[in-house]
Amino acid sequence: MDLVLMLSRIQFGATAAFHIIFPMMSIGLALYLFVMECMWLKTGKQEYYQQLRFWLKIFTLSFAIGVASGIPMAFQFGMSWAAFSNAAGSFFGNIIGFETTIAFTLETASLGIMIFGWKYVSRTVHLIANGLTFFAATLSAFWIIAANSWMQIPEGTHMDLVTGKIIVDNYWQAIFNSGTMTSYLHTLLAAVTATLFLVAGVSAWAILRENKTREKVQFFINSIKYAIVVALIAAPVQVIFGDILGVIVAKHQPAKFAAMELHYDTNAQGQGAPWSLFALPNKDNNGTSFAWPSIPNALSIVTTKTMTGEVKGLNDFATNEKPTAIESALTYYSSRIMILIGFAMVAIALVALYYWRRGKLEVDTIENHKGFLRFFVWMIPLGFIAVEMGWMAREIGRQPYMIYHNLTIAQSLSSNLNAGIIIFLIVAIVAIYIALFSLLVHFIRRITEKGPDFNATI
Amino acid sequence: MNDFITLATSGAHIPLLPIVWFAIIGIELALYILLDGGNLGIGILSLLPQKEDNRSLMLHVVGPIWDANETWLLVAAGSLFGAFPAVYAIGLNALFVPAIVIAVGIILRAGSFAFFEFSEMKSLWTKVFGVGSLLVAIGHGLLFGGLLSGIKIVDGHFGGGAFDFLTPFTLLFTIGLFFAYVVLGYSALIGKIDYALQVETFPRILGASVVTFLALLTATFVLPNMSYIFMTAWTAAPTSYLLYLIAGAIFMTSVILGYNAIAKKNPEQMHFFAMLIFVLGYAGMVVGLFPYIVPPAVTIFDVASPDSTLKFMLYGIGPILPIVFAYNWYLHKVFGSNFAHNKEGEGY
Repeated sequence: MDLVLMLSRIQFGATAAFHIIFPMMSIGLALYLFVMECMWLKTGKQEYYQQLRFWLKIFTLSFAIGVASGIPMAFQFGMSWAAFSNAAGSFFGNIIGFETTIAFTLETASLGIMIFGWKYVSRTVHLIANGLTFFAATLSAFWIIAANSWMQIPEGTHMDLVTGKIIVDNYWQAIFNSGTMTSYLHTLLAAVTATLFLVAGVSAWAILRENKTREKVQFFINSIKYAIVVALIAAPVQVIFGDILGVIVAKHQPAKFAAMELHYDTNAQGQGAPWSLFALPNKDNNGTSFAWPSIPNALSIVTTKTMTGEVKGLNDFATNEKPTAIESALTYYSSRIMILIGFAMVAIALVALYYWRRGKLEVDTIENHKGFLRFFVWMIPLGFIAVEMGWMAREIGRQPYMIYHNLTIAQSLSSNLNAGIIIFLIVAIVAIYIALFSLLVHFIRRITEKGPDFNATI
Repeated sequence: MNDFITLATSGAHIPLLPIVWFAIIGIELALYILLDGGNLGIGILSLLPQKEDNRSLMLHVVGPIWDANETWLLVAAGSLFGAFPAVYAIGLNALFVPAIVIAVGIILRAGSFAFFEFSEMKSLWTKVFGVGSLLVAIGHGLLFGGLLSGIKIVDGHFGGGAFDFLTPFTLLFTIGLFFAYVVLGYSALIGKIDYALQVETFPRILGASVVTFLALLTATFVLPNMSYIFMTAWTAAPTSYLLYLIAGAIFMTSVILGYNAIAKKNPEQMHFFAMLIFVLGYAGMVVGLFPYIVPPAVTIFDVASPDSTLKFMLYGIGPILPIVFAYNWYLHKVFGSNFAHNKEGEGY
């Protein structure tokens, strides 16, 4: 592959992989904060107010890093992918414009009120600002996912072959294409589950610290419980949405779907395609050398909801219409890890519920369950790993296309790029992101160690 | 392809939508520069030697509003991406060095606000805030200066080198813009910090204003000699009349501001006059640029998205903008001058 193309992909991939964590955290925490403020105003209990004040600090940090890490990404559309931006700007740029104007402006303004407005606005205005922050975070995600989903399933538009530009025929179809709503809900649920595992993990970490009071332990036990309640609802629903999205991918991006399943040979008529949990590609990249446990007909059932429905295999796609061998393997393993984590999160939430119902999550008993707490600390990155894996499967699996069947990734590149400059930029971006991430972890630890301010009054 | 004027006088149909979007993006960018310019100026001023308390106060003044202000840059960029995709593409492709300077500056600013509140090394984060603001201010000058200096286009793609943007005009423009931000920063702080009482404040404002004036005036005369299209455009009616009018208004406002600064009168009006000069100068730039968007060859009519996109964006963004103005106004009202004096319970 062309060196400049490969480097530009690594550059964008590194930027997006880091950035995606923070909008996800913003959505999850904004929901948590909004629920807490509603509960506080409804019941008048200080406990909810303290939850709101404490987690708002973490939210502030994650939002700031989201802003910081998003700017280089927006710039890269022009810097590295000028040909794509030029060709698709009439739709893609338009939607990005909607995101900034309609959603992001609202989010920054209402967040300003939410963080700094305690003494300056009434409780009602503060609640509205909180609600608007959550609404704007999800709206922002909607536009981004609509733009991305259109790149995967470009409906409602066509490529003008004379000018080489995208022409929009039907905005409704393009925005609400076959993938948009499912992908959007899948993303929101991922944001909520991943963030609540983070909330539970950070709280568990706080309880394990030496320096603590009974009050503080109670506070963080409550955080864990709220997180478990929401995770119990969100995690199983997420599994269902994952399945629906899989069927949509199978229909609109069959080559990606085949890669996600490492499915090489189209099943013969009258025979079902088997499904396996774990597989290895063979040396020639035209079949699997290992597949375990092979469940007959299962892939046909999952995909077509019939016993012997046809599922087209990778070998039956032209080379320039499917991901390369390495890309297929990456797509496969990342989607497998995502699916495993999805099921694991349901199981973990159920185990936590069991502990809770058995009275083990109380101030007096929690000390006997340090293993449980330590386990949750380790689970902090779990949901975010699933997010990264799902995103990788989505973006690597659609190769070699930037806009499916309209524009390849190689056609999207800017002119006059220099490999040396890109390498320098990758190193710089990674260094900056590592610094930001270390600072984030440092300050989350610090804030958590200090715990909520129980004397804070409104 | 430059002959918009010929087009206008020939009575041919002039496409309206690209002009509307040029104006909208112009207004969004003006708001950004006006709102964030003051914040950037405050950041630059925080680097001058002074009490550490003053620096904390500066962060405190800017904290609640900088994010909403900075969003206008993203709004303008988003609108540009949709309405004139080629400009977004070619512009960032050609001017990626200034874009990176801005990006690094924004990252430092975002980090400084977030970490300042929770850190014990407050003075470290006020410095990061200052350096970030400095970089963004310089980046603006390089980016817009580079754009106005002209971009080499071959077959619809950027065809120049990474450092083409470094022209004498760009340097003059960067110096002018930088000191303009300093003036805006001073004028925004006058009502909030005891700056007005200090001896060195007024001479400094005057000095910064003079440098701004000389640098931008020289830049204005350098540009048409570098890029001949401006010579033609600026000397033709109606552009020439508009430019004379704007220049006259800038002169008048400057005289009033200068008089007030020397006589130390009406410090509270200073912010208003400084902003007025800024808006007038900016309007002059937009009028002088029109109908070009990537000089010396590309006009807004060459690179506008199809009418269907421009219309749809107008329906989507048009009704939203007044709402955005409204809640931004509310935000500024809530965190207005009394906010700075009240350090109790500032948030978090």
